[in-house]
Amino acid sequence: MADEKKSKQRHRVMVFESMYPVVALMLILVACVELCDAATVVDVYRLIQYDISGVPFGSRFSSLNHHAASLSFQRGADLSRSVLILPLRELDIGFVRDYISQKQSLGGLLILLPQTFRPGNIDGGSQSSENDGFRNLLAELEKLLVHGNIPFPVYFAFENEETDAMLADVKKNDALGQQATATTGGYKLVISVSEPRKIASPTITNIQGWLPGSRADGDSNQLPTIAVVASYDTFGAAPALSVGSDSNGSGVVSLLEVARLFSILYSNPKTRGRYNLLFALTSGGPYNYEGTQKWLKSLDQRMRESIDYAICLNSVGSWDSELLIHVSKPPDNAYIKQIFEGFSNVGQDLGFQVGLKHKKINISNSRVAWEHEQFSRLRVTAATLSELSTPPELLENSGSLSDTRQLVNEDAIIKGVKLVAESLAKHIYGHQGKDIKIFADDSSLAVNPFYVRSWLDLLSQTPRVAPFLLKNDPLIMALKKELEDYTAEVSVQHESLDGSFTFYDSTKASLNIYQVASVTFDLLLLLVLGSYLIVLFSFLVITTRGLDDLISLFRRPPSRKVKMA
Amino acid sequence: MTLFHFFNCAILTFGPHAVYYSATPLSEYDTLRTSVKAGVVYLATALVKLVCLATFLQVSETEVFDPYQEALKAMIGFIDVAGLYYALAQLTHRNISQNHKFQAVGLGWAFADSVLHRLAPLWVGARGLEFTWDYVLQGLEANANLVFTISLAALGSLMWLRKNKPKSLIPIIYTCAVIIATMPSITSYLKRVMGWHFPKIVGFELVTSLVMAFISCQLFSLCQRPSL
Repeated sequence: MADEKKSKQRHRVMVFESMYPVVALMLILVACVELCDAATVVDVYRLIQYDISGVPFGSRFSSLNHHAASLSFQRGADLSRSVLILPLRELDIGFVRDYISQKQSLGGLLILLPQTFRPGNIDGGSQSSENDGFRNLLAELEKLLVHGNIPFPVYFAFENEETDAMLADVKKNDALGQQATATTGGYKLVISVSEPRKIASPTITNIQGWLPGSRADGDSNQLPTIAVVASYDTFGAAPALSVGSDSNGSGVVSLLEVARLFSILYSNPKTRGRYNLLFALTSGGPYNYEGTQKWLKSLDQRMRESIDYAICLNSVGSWDSELLIHVSKPPDNAYIKQIFEGFSNVGQDLGFQVGLKHKKINISNSRVAWEHEQFSRLRVTAATLSELSTPPELLENSGSLSDTRQLVNEDAIIKGVKLVAESLAKHIYGHQGKDIKIFADDSSLAVNPFYVRSWLDLLSQTPRVAPFLLKNDPLIMALKKELEDYTAEVSVQHESLDGSFTFYDSTKASLNIYQVASVTFDLLLLLVLGSYLIVLFSFLVITTRGLDDLISLFRRPPSRKVKMA
Repeated sequence: MTLFHFFNCAILTFGPHAVYYSATPLSEYDTLRTSVKAGVVYLATALVKLVCLATFLQVSETEVFDPYQEALKAMIGFIDVAGLYYALAQLTHRNISQNHKFQAVGLGWAFADSVLHRLAPLWVGARGLEFTWDYVLQGLEANANLVFTISLAALGSLMWLRKNKPKSLIPIIYTCAVIIATMPSITSYLKRVMGWHFPKIVGFELVTSLVMAFISCQLFSLCQRPSL
């Protein structure tokens, strides 16, 4: 009986002892249960990659498979196998500049933008001073990235809850000094795309609409023409996000509205003017207005000579009290004077200033800063209407990341449309000096703000970088159809973007964020499981066969040998 | 190192079965055939259960605890018990003592259950890059399930194979058997109505399994006495 009791007690002790590993495992579970995150997938947009005459610019790589790191890492730590996550809110532009200029190696760069910069995010105009600060910072960052040669992948993403949570975790770990590597766990960012390839022959598409004037009996071919031109494509740091609401979505919308108004006027033979109207939506704007040049060269010589003057629209969406006319012919030229006086009188009537800026063309310099310069090089009088006071640099002011819908003011566009329409009408119908308002509000020829708003919203959600627009892109078809509604003849011209610019594809990808456990964790788990199984084994042997059997498993049987001997 | 994680979870899920077989006298008496037969019976039972579930159960979209559906599921769960009865009582085994018979049947049953329910998710899921605790918890659940099945087999052998039992113990035996047989319903009730998460449920299962094992061990030894 005593033996039975002892064995029972031992049995109970063994039961409790065998519970220890279970309890330990459960404690680990409870402590680490917050690690139960699922993988997240985020849309990311790559920095542009391009060459100018063989010189590489932008980010040269696209695939990514590294651990995440944040700015709180220890100075001097090796980041060549980590992806640095930089939220725009905490960006230190000097740090990025140093990193790029010193050519330090980095696994990758992920820049998190606030949600207000997402195309299609129409509201969010509050906190405008904070947003202005972000816009300036973003513009500086873009300049740095677009003009640099970056040997690691750079991606833009928009902040959301999952990225915020991940970033907070990564910062906490970095602050503790644990660099995330294969042995210490952390987050792994994986973007698996193929290597970027050159875009074989990028096309630029020009769309022109022709609205003929009323012929006096006979000589119709000698009717003079007025051209209204706007370039519709963009260029920015992230091609999949370059929606260019102001540069040049505002110009496109203004052109479409002017075309609509004049099509109403010209539909009635009694109000058809003695001028032809030529509307052109050109591409290749950021690349020295190559599309405009090719379009002009493709025009019939007689047609080109019949152009009285051309008005180019560039960024007319966010001005307040002054709009500028840029010319390349000297201001005391008779034509220029006439044009300028017409515009400035109308402007005064409408309540704002119109200024004149003159910039000489330097024939030896291939840089074409304004669209009208392409006209001037072919001896056509032209001027650009714009809110910008200085000529934009190459690949700037052509649809950057910060150029979103909130930057554009519909009233500015409406004022600009009124300006252009009234000035053209005064010239066409010969009302200079008279106080006649053709496109008055509340008339049937009033500027339609809903039309402006709907096209502006559409353009603000459509990235329009020319090499990535196919010949029959839905946007091009839509613009063509719109011009077909308002003009008599529409023709679409496809050209290839030649010469110095080469582009690479792969602009959008999906980022997978994995939470990984370190190798040490796996080893620890193996150890725990091994000990658990051993304990289980011993427990079972002891309870079913007795303790002696367990001991005999480990001891070689020398006693038997002795017995046999 | 995610194949490593898969290996870890696999030994947690299937290791105890192998350890149980080798540690207890089952290996000495070569009861492998019994275990395999029990596994086959489990397979047949699972198929029958699937057919019944598909025929009689309505799939609800939300995770709502419907008492009628749960009662139906519990009744279908008793097919399990019937299968176990068949494996214990009806199949002819070689001369093995009752003590070892229920252990072998329980072991084969639990192993087949683990393989069918847990191998595929483990293979597909644990090898990925993302780390979750799910598979470790699943392995712990497999352990609890092993203990439950052996207890149920013990109680089953007491109910059906042992003729002379002390009268006072019979209701206890039956209640314990019913509790173990309805464990799936209990866990689903906890998950849906009480909103417990997986770790809590696994902990509860482990504790209950140990308690049940202890109780059935005691019952077994108590019933052992008259024959001694």
